[in-house]
Amino acid sequence: MLESDKGTLTTPPRMGGGLERWAERHLRILMLAPTVLILLALTIFPSLYMFYAAVHKISPNPDLPWQFVGPGNFARLLSDTQFHVALRNTAVFTIAAVTIEFLLGLGLALLLDRFIRRLTFLKTVLMIPMMLPPIAVAITWKIIYEPQFGVLNEIMFRLGLPLQAWAGDVNLAMFSIIVADVWQWTPFIFLLMLAGLASLPVEPYEAAVLDGASSWRQFWDLTLPFLKPVIAIALLLRVMDALRLFDLVFILTGGGPADRTKVLSLYIYQVAYRFADTGYAAAISLFVLFVTIVLSTWFMKRMRLAE
Amino acid sequence: MVRKFCLALAVAASALAIAGAAWADFTILVPSSAEGDGLRAAAADYSKMKGTKVEIVQAPYANVFEQAANAGATKSGVFDIILMDDPWIPFFAENGHLEDLTPYFKNAGMEGPDDDFLSKSLAICRNPYNTGPYVCLPYVGNAQMFFYDPIKFKEAGVETPKTWDDVLKASKALTEAGGGRYFGYVFRGGQGNPVVADFMPIFWSYGADLFNADRSKVTIDTPEGAAAMKTFMALRDVSPKGVESYNANEVGTALAAGTAASSINWPDWVATFEDPSQSRMVGKISHSPIPAGTKPGSSEIGHWTMGIMTASKNKQEAFDFMIWATSPEQIKISAERGNPPVRTSTFTDPELTKQEQFRHYPVLMEAIQASTPRPRHPKWPEIENAFGIELSKAVAGTITPEEALKNSQAAVEEITGLK
Repeated sequence: MLESDKGTLTTPPRMGGGLERWAERHLRILMLAPTVLILLALTIFPSLYMFYAAVHKISPNPDLPWQFVGPGNFARLLSDTQFHVALRNTAVFTIAAVTIEFLLGLGLALLLDRFIRRLTFLKTVLMIPMMLPPIAVAITWKIIYEPQFGVLNEIMFRLGLPLQAWAGDVNLAMFSIIVADVWQWTPFIFLLMLAGLASLPVEPYEAAVLDGASSWRQFWDLTLPFLKPVIAIALLLRVMDALRLFDLVFILTGGGPADRTKVLSLYIYQVAYRFADTGYAAAISLFVLFVTIVLSTWFMKRMRLAE
Repeated sequence: MVRKFCLALAVAASALAIAGAAWADFTILVPSSAEGDGLRAAAADYSKMKGTKVEIVQAPYANVFEQAANAGATKSGVFDIILMDDPWIPFFAENGHLEDLTPYFKNAGMEGPDDDFLSKSLAICRNPYNTGPYVCLPYVGNAQMFFYDPIKFKEAGVETPKTWDDVLKASKALTEAGGGRYFGYVFRGGQGNPVVADFMPIFWSYGADLFNADRSKVTIDTPEGAAAMKTFMALRDVSPKGVESYNANEVGTALAAGTAASSINWPDWVATFEDPSQSRMVGKISHSPIPAGTKPGSSEIGHWTMGIMTASKNKQEAFDFMIWATSPEQIKISAERGNPPVRTSTFTDPELTKQEQFRHYPVLMEAIQASTPRPRHPKWPEIENAFGIELSKAVAGTITPEEALKNSQAAVEEITGLK
């Protein structure tokens, strides 16, 4: 119904009453359809296709048919030593990097909470590492770590310390990658924690002070429980991201030396694109997806986020 | 009004998309390197001369393989020509991604490529190696050479390094005198392709190979392989710390900066070494063929070759371009642009050889003719990866050289199904 220029209500002219009635009845479906179609095309179809690929042996020769192998590709995971190495390295990287980033981020946020709120400029500076493209970060660290001409070894030399092969030494390569990742992603945790601290209620702290609670007691019994949802989100996002680590390893070490930095994403890339074994690559990808879902669910339950 | 505007916008967008798809008469996939830049320049010349629209797609080395493999597997026809590194040829040819060039030569009234091409350059373009039909044409004549600083080597008591023992003798003395800042030898020790590429010439120079002559057996873990590995480990001990992560850039930079006295490397580094803006060693680096072990030295051949993709819709245009781009005149222009040639006439052209920047041509021609291709196997990327992991472990010292050979033997047997 529309209001005419004479101020009376009139019914708009009907164009094909049947069609209009049908459109009105199915308005919700029609409105949702574009979103659902896009979701199907971009998310559901690739996921289903990956499941389909994972149970086939796919030849790089387009004239050869896909060969159904059932759970064969998943069974290969059990005996594939390169996959085991990549899985172990990914676990080591994820646990070490996320733990350090969390402790540093939380510690810095607690230390600087009162001072930094006014220093917007400092916040912007701290955000720079995580705004940089991962490739740029990797190349920067490659230059820093370069054994002969890198700035790190130049500092070591000037201090009279032994020069190190930061990305080339089997004992240092993973450490070097973790350091680069910590540099890039600690600000992310720091900023989330800072936002969390800024939203804490004042009253419980005032009550705690009146009750004579020490700073440590306040942190343990008030700050940490209040921050729990923020911590959960921060850790969850970082763990999911760490499981997908690729750029730093690809640029800094290529998975070496001696396979010490080969992570799952790099291995999936090699299997899919270097060895052209798409079916097996899909199976490994599904395994990573499964691990991520299990970890996330467990984590959310532990942090009572699921409620 | 808004509806009309949206409609006009949609029509314009569609027209643009169609025009974009049909923009080029043919498309070439090339690497983002001197080789790709050279072919890009040639394609621009061809466009001007013939009025043909040639689109060049450039990608980093590894991505060229991936994009071409993807285009081949999906029969997309997005690329008409690919500029391939020669070890990729068996993969592309045996998976049906490359066009057999025989009928195109026949149509053009040719029996095949002319005799001016170096025989080794032509041999790699046939699949199977040297016996099958041509599936590509050679464009850039890469083969490894041995680069060294003759003054430093002379100081270390070696006039001209002819054997690996000579190299070791000089390198040991130079590294010991270098105080941790100068080294007698440097190599690509990075896991995978880099370490394999710098090990293979040593492997071959001790009479070892990955397979026996008829490719029925893996032959890595042999006495010859052990002798090669012993030399490789001795060279590692006189190389810079961190060589385990080195690739061509680090090796080339070490030589150009004058912090290492010798290495195996590709000829395109000559231009860098002779460029005063990039090198402290202008005119000071000599070149020789790969030193001998117990057998004559042999370079790894690393030619860049042009092949037509089976799914191409512009095969004849692509073939015509390839014939033009590999003609004697164009190969000479390509050489002047910095890419090593594949024709005898260019290698021996006095106009070029009298110039300082081409003084390595006689050595390079000799290196190509004494070169060996990487094992021609469709699973070479997988073989190289497995071998590269074990070599990387040996270089890093996490396993013994003997274990590296034994593990490599087992891994390659599993990949190829050969016992």
